[in-house]
Amino acid sequence: MTHARFTRRQFLAAAAATAGALAIGRPARAKGSVTAAMYPGTWEEAFRAHVVPALKSAHDVDLEMTPLFAVDQIAKAQAARGAPPFDAFVLDPGPRVTGIDRGLFEKFEARRLKNVGRLPAGMVDDWGVTVAAQVVGIGYNPKKLPRPKSWTDLLKDPWVSRLGMTGFQTTYGTVSIIEIAKQFGGSETNVEPFFVEIKKVLSKVAAIGAPASMPALFQQGQCDITYTNTQTVATLRGRDVDIEFVKPESGAVAFFTTMHVAKGSREGENAYKYFDTVISAPVQSALMQPPNNFIPVNRDVKLAAALPMASLDEMAKFVRHDWSKINPLRAAWIERFNKEVAK
Amino acid sequence: MTVRVRPAEWQLALPLALAYAAFFLVPLLLLIGVSAFDDEKITTLGFAQWRRFLADPFTWKVIVDTVKLGGLTVAATALVGYPVALVYLGAGPRWQRVILFVVILPLLTSVVVRTFAWIVILGREGVINQALLWLGLAPAPLRLLQTEHGLVMALTQIEMPLLLLPLLSVMSRMDPSLRDASAALGASKWRTLVRVTLPLSLPGLVAGCMLVFASSTTAFISQFVIGGNRLVYLPLLIWQQSLVVYNWPLASVAALTLLVSVGLGVTAIAAVGRRSRAYAV
Repeated sequence: MTHARFTRRQFLAAAAATAGALAIGRPARAKGSVTAAMYPGTWEEAFRAHVVPALKSAHDVDLEMTPLFAVDQIAKAQAARGAPPFDAFVLDPGPRVTGIDRGLFEKFEARRLKNVGRLPAGMVDDWGVTVAAQVVGIGYNPKKLPRPKSWTDLLKDPWVSRLGMTGFQTTYGTVSIIEIAKQFGGSETNVEPFFVEIKKVLSKVAAIGAPASMPALFQQGQCDITYTNTQTVATLRGRDVDIEFVKPESGAVAFFTTMHVAKGSREGENAYKYFDTVISAPVQSALMQPPNNFIPVNRDVKLAAALPMASLDEMAKFVRHDWSKINPLRAAWIERFNKEVAK
Repeated sequence: MTVRVRPAEWQLALPLALAYAAFFLVPLLLLIGVSAFDDEKITTLGFAQWRRFLADPFTWKVIVDTVKLGGLTVAATALVGYPVALVYLGAGPRWQRVILFVVILPLLTSVVVRTFAWIVILGREGVINQALLWLGLAPAPLRLLQTEHGLVMALTQIEMPLLLLPLLSVMSRMDPSLRDASAALGASKWRTLVRVTLPLSLPGLVAGCMLVFASSTTAFISQFVIGGNRLVYLPLLIWQQSLVVYNWPLASVAALTLLVSVGLGVTAIAAVGRRSRAYAV
């Protein structure tokens, strides 16, 4: 048997030619694509199932997703310095404020969204558009514990000895701790009362975990009560975990997830088409259904019975926070939390 | 005798050397550079972050805890792993293959999966607690998650392949006639173990311990998921500073501190290895 023999030079030339041909002849796309940063897990799966096909059929645009948490998106965009690794951000309020401060977004033009009129007031601004709401309150196991009424119950028996906590690393953790602090005389910018109170009961607290491990800890019975959002509660219920959501007496907390065009993106046009698809009624409605359990922002969507409000306008009464005030204090709070809870 | 390295040989090492320079050396220099800024936006040069970090007693507690975690994990893996290696040494070729496969098995699943499995094992309603309650050895579920001993247990399993692979490779090259000679000269099994097998396997054991130490002190996922916020180690501080509050200078300071701590730990293990080899011979 004989082998065709190549010299090294021939081989390299052939390899270069092949690579060049591949680079030039990329598959043709009708209207191009948009690369969006996306929260890993529930969000990514839900967007793959509902947004990708909707965007393709409505605008003939391909959606490519880069799975990144909000904080990672800011870090990546900042490190890229003007050549963003994706075209669209999806962010919680804290990282959103950081993004605005550090000039990571293009100015937002709301008139480019057809569905903008279907959003409640205040859902669009100069920087981005709200695509989902999150409602934070208390999740507890009704088979193991009596129903808690307020944030302060978390630090009392019998709840405290079954309490699972996270620190200030997440948005929901931060706002929950602020709300606990408020009940003891603190405020949005003063969480000192929380540290005073938690110190008294720290040895009883069942778990102080990594945010990503909290659902697993709850599912495994390591803790039976925790502060959390409606989406996590609904997801756990879908897996037959005994968990119920409680709106604390002082009110549940609402915050919004927003999308933004990355500074320097070349796919701005397609990014707006993507946002418009996300906030359209059919997509919002699909995202609300289990197993996705999003809280919609489009008025045309009939709200699911399990959600803690009858209409979107009711969310105006929920507790809101000003992240431009919280962000500058957060580093010190995180440091303080480490020191107070570490053994 | 000195070996003359012909140009062709160093040229072969060039791709790796370039990759190291580009993906290790340059980022390391950047890390050192970023740590020499005072402010989060990286505009003013200065050593304020270093001063702040090293002046805080909490930092030193975290450094000590991190190194201690590595030490405990090394001790536990060596204690559990060395007997496995002895079984390997005494086994026939077929069983050796089986043992090797079992040792490598954990590496075939992701560390994230292994870590979350440990939540199920160590949890309040987990396997260990259920067994203890059923046997009547404990009146109430023990707290194993978010404790140092629980974390060391999990890391012992997670890091075990790193100890065993170099150890087994050294052991399999050991000349069996040396142990036979020791026995023929009247040494007991213990004496043969301590005077012959252990010293000969020491290079593998030391290499394994260094890998376990470096890997367990930097195992962010396992430390955070199993240890939670109650156990604070240097990787958690790096993550918080770099990705939650975006204070990159302080994150760089913490990262360099971790690098130095791990480097010192690994050097210490290597020194202990050299010492005891000299003693054994």
